[in-house]
Amino acid sequence: MLEAYIQSYNEAVFETDKQAALEVVNKALSEGLTPEDVVFKLVIPAVEAMMARIESDPDSNLAQHFMTAQIAADVTERMLEKFSQPPEVIGRVVIGAAHGDLHSLGKRIVIGCLKSLMVDVIDLGTNVSAIKFVDAAIEEDAQVIAVSAMMVHTATGEHGSMEIRQLLRERGLEDKIKLAVGGAPYRFDPELYAKVGADAWAPDGVTAAKVIVQLIREVKKHDAA
Amino acid sequence: MADSDTLLQQPADSPVTITVRSDDQVLRLPLSADTSVRQALDTTELRVRAACGGQGTCGACLIQIVSGNFNPPTLAERQKILPEDLANGMRLSCQLHARSGSELYLQHPAPHSEWKSLDVNQLHKAAGNPAVTEHVYGVAVDLGTTHIRLSFWNRQSGRRIGSRYSVNPQVAHGADILTRLDANRLADSDCRVIGQQARKAIIEGVRDILSRDMGEVSPVLAEIGKVLIVGNTAMLTLICGNSGDSLYQPENWQKPIACLPDDVEAWRGVWRTPHAEIGIAQPLAGFIGSDLLADLVATDVIGQQRPMLLADFGTNTEIALWDGQTLWATSVPGGPAFEGVGMRNGLTAETGAICRVSKDAGCWRLRTIGETPARGYCASGFIDAVALMLDEQLLKPSGRFTQPQTEGRYLLDRDNPHTAIYGIDVDIFQRAKASTAAAMTQLLAFAGLKAGDLQTLWICGSFGQHLDLDSAMRVGLLPAVELGRIKLFANASLAGCEKLLLDPAGEAMLNAILGRAHVVNLGGVTEYEERFIDNLRLQPVPTMECG
Repeated sequence: MLEAYIQSYNEAVFETDKQAALEVVNKALSEGLTPEDVVFKLVIPAVEAMMARIESDPDSNLAQHFMTAQIAADVTERMLEKFSQPPEVIGRVVIGAAHGDLHSLGKRIVIGCLKSLMVDVIDLGTNVSAIKFVDAAIEEDAQVIAVSAMMVHTATGEHGSMEIRQLLRERGLEDKIKLAVGGAPYRFDPELYAKVGADAWAPDGVTAAKVIVQLIREVKKHDAA
Repeated sequence: MADSDTLLQQPADSPVTITVRSDDQVLRLPLSADTSVRQALDTTELRVRAACGGQGTCGACLIQIVSGNFNPPTLAERQKILPEDLANGMRLSCQLHARSGSELYLQHPAPHSEWKSLDVNQLHKAAGNPAVTEHVYGVAVDLGTTHIRLSFWNRQSGRRIGSRYSVNPQVAHGADILTRLDANRLADSDCRVIGQQARKAIIEGVRDILSRDMGEVSPVLAEIGKVLIVGNTAMLTLICGNSGDSLYQPENWQKPIACLPDDVEAWRGVWRTPHAEIGIAQPLAGFIGSDLLADLVATDVIGQQRPMLLADFGTNTEIALWDGQTLWATSVPGGPAFEGVGMRNGLTAETGAICRVSKDAGCWRLRTIGETPARGYCASGFIDAVALMLDEQLLKPSGRFTQPQTEGRYLLDRDNPHTAIYGIDVDIFQRAKASTAAAMTQLLAFAGLKAGDLQTLWICGSFGQHLDLDSAMRVGLLPAVELGRIKLFANASLAGCEKLLLDPAGEAMLNAILGRAHVVNLGGVTEYEERFIDNLRLQPVPTMECG
C-alpha cells in the first residue's frame, strides 16, 4: 500500500502537479497513514529521490525544482500541525539573499526542501548585511549560514560572503558555523564559492538543501567530538 | 454563387499578394488597395531608391512589372518615365497600386539599410500646432533594448513626414543588456560606447527619413526644434552618458531615477541640430521606463471608468493595472524569451522567423515572416508550437517532453534544424510566462479585481503583432479574458511619445498618470512568489484567478 502511495506521490511531484500530490496525501491520511508517516515515509524520501533524480537528469527543469520544494514544504507544513508531538529537528540554518540582492525565489526552493527535511529555517529575507547574518546565526544557534546571490556583484561584493567569512574568523566561529552559497554566478564559475570564502556551494536549490544538511552534520559531529 | 460574384463582394481594401524579385532575394507581401508598392517595400529590407517621400517627383523608385494588374500610370509617372520604358512596364513604385496578385522586378534596390518604415495606422494623429512658428520639425523616439522606433514631424502642420524602426546597435554587444548590467560585466567605457551608438543610430534613422522622404538633410536638421525620447530605464541611463551602476542599487528600484544628459550642447553638435531641445521622458522607477508611461498616454487608460490592464512585453515586461482610482505598475523579467534572445532557436520578429504554427491534416504548418525559409522562432511562433505540442501530448504540463527526444529537442520540420523546440528553451519560456502571468494576477489581487472585471487587456510592443491569443491563454501566459476585450497595439510607446511631442495636452496627461501611479516591487512579495511557482506549469492561468 505504502509503495503505491510513494509511487504516485513521486510521479505527481515529478510532473509538477501539486493538486495530484495533495490528493495522494489526503487519500493516504484517510486510509490510515499518520501525519508522521506522510512526512517521514512519503515526503522526505520523495525529496531525496528528486535530489538524486535531478542530479542525474540533465533535462530536469526549473519548474520541477520549484515544485519539488513547493509541494514538499506545503505538505510538511500541513502535516506538522497534526503531529502528535513536535518533531525532532536535525539542525538550524539562517538563510537570506546577499547584501544588495533582492532576488528571493532561489532561496525559496532551498527553504522548501530544508523544511521538509526537518531542518529549522530562519529566513532573513533579501538584501541582508553580513553582520546580520552572523548575529542571527549566533542568536539562533544555527549551524549554517546560507547566502543566495543571483548577481555577480552581490556574490563577489565586499559586503557579501567575504565579509561573513571575515566575521566568522574574527569571532573564532569557523568550526561552529559553516557558510554555504548558491545562485547563478556560482554556476558560471565552479571555483567561485572558494574565492568568496564559502565552505560549500550547490548548483541548484534542491541540491543546496542536501549540501546544507551535510554541513549541519559536520558541525554537529565536530561539536560532539 | 459563382467565383466572380465572390470576388465582386470582396471589400475594396482586401489585400492582394505581390511577389517582388531583386537579383538576390524574393519577397511575397500582402498589399491593400490604399498602400503603394513603395510603402509596402519600405517595411522590408528590400527598399526602392527614393528622395521625395512618395510624391512622384524624384523618379528614383523605378520598378519593372512582370505580371498582374495595376492602376494606370499617373501624371507623375508620365512625366518621369520615358514613353518606351512605360510601355514596357517600367513604373514608379510610389505611384503603383496592385489590383491583383502580381509580380515585380526591382533591378536597382536602395543600398542596404537597417531602417524600415512602420505601419502608421496605429500611430498618433496630430492636429498640428500653429503656436510652433520656428524650428518646426520634431522627432519622437522610442528607445528600446532591441529596437529603436522613431518618427519625424512637422509640428506646426501636424504632418508625419516619415517613421522608421531598426535594431538597436547595442544588440551587437550581446543582446541582453539587462543581464549584462546585472552581471556587472559592462565597464563604464562599454556603457559610454552603447550610449553613443544609440545616439548615432537615432540620427541615422532621422537622416534616412530626410534623404528618402524629403530629399534634403542638413537644412532640415537645422530646423529641428524638439526631440523627445522615451525608453526603458537602462537605455535612457546609457544614452544620457551615465553608467548603469545606479540601476542595481536596491534603493533605486522603486524610486524615480533621473536620466539627464550632462552634455546636451555636444550632443546637439554631433547631430548637427543646433536648435533641438533634446528631451528625455523620465522613467517612473528603476525598472519601469517611460516607454510604459508612453503606452499609457497612447491608450488613455486612466481616462477610463472601468479597469484596464496593460502589458508591454520585452526584455523587461512592464505591467500596469488601472482600477479606476490607482494605477498599479510593476515590471518583471519577461526576459530574453520574448525577444528570442538566449534561446537556441529564438529570433526577434524578423524575416525568416516562424511567427505562426498550426497543424493541418497531421502536418505541421510553419508560417514565417516574409514567407522565407525558417531560421528560428519569434515569441508568437514559439507559443503556438508549445500550445499545439501540449494538445498533441508531445509536451507535458511540467514542460518536459512526453517521450525522451534525441538531443533534447523536437523538430517540427524534420529537415530544418532551425525548427527544433529544445527542452531548455521551454524551461526558459516557462519562467518568463510564469512571471508575467503571476504579476498580472498579483496586481489584480492587490486591486481586489479578477481578470473577468477587465474592460480591456492591452498588449503593447511588437511582441503582440503576430500573437495568437488562444495559444497565449492555452499555455498560461495571459489570464483568460474574452478575446474581444484584448487589444494589440504594437507601436504604443512611439504613439504615446508622438502625443507627448505634439499635443500641448500631453504633458498634463503624463502628470495625471504620474499622480495616480503606485509602483510595486514584486521582489519582496511572498504571495507573488507562490503565484510564480504555480504558474510555471504549462496550463491556463488557474481559473480562480480569472473568475
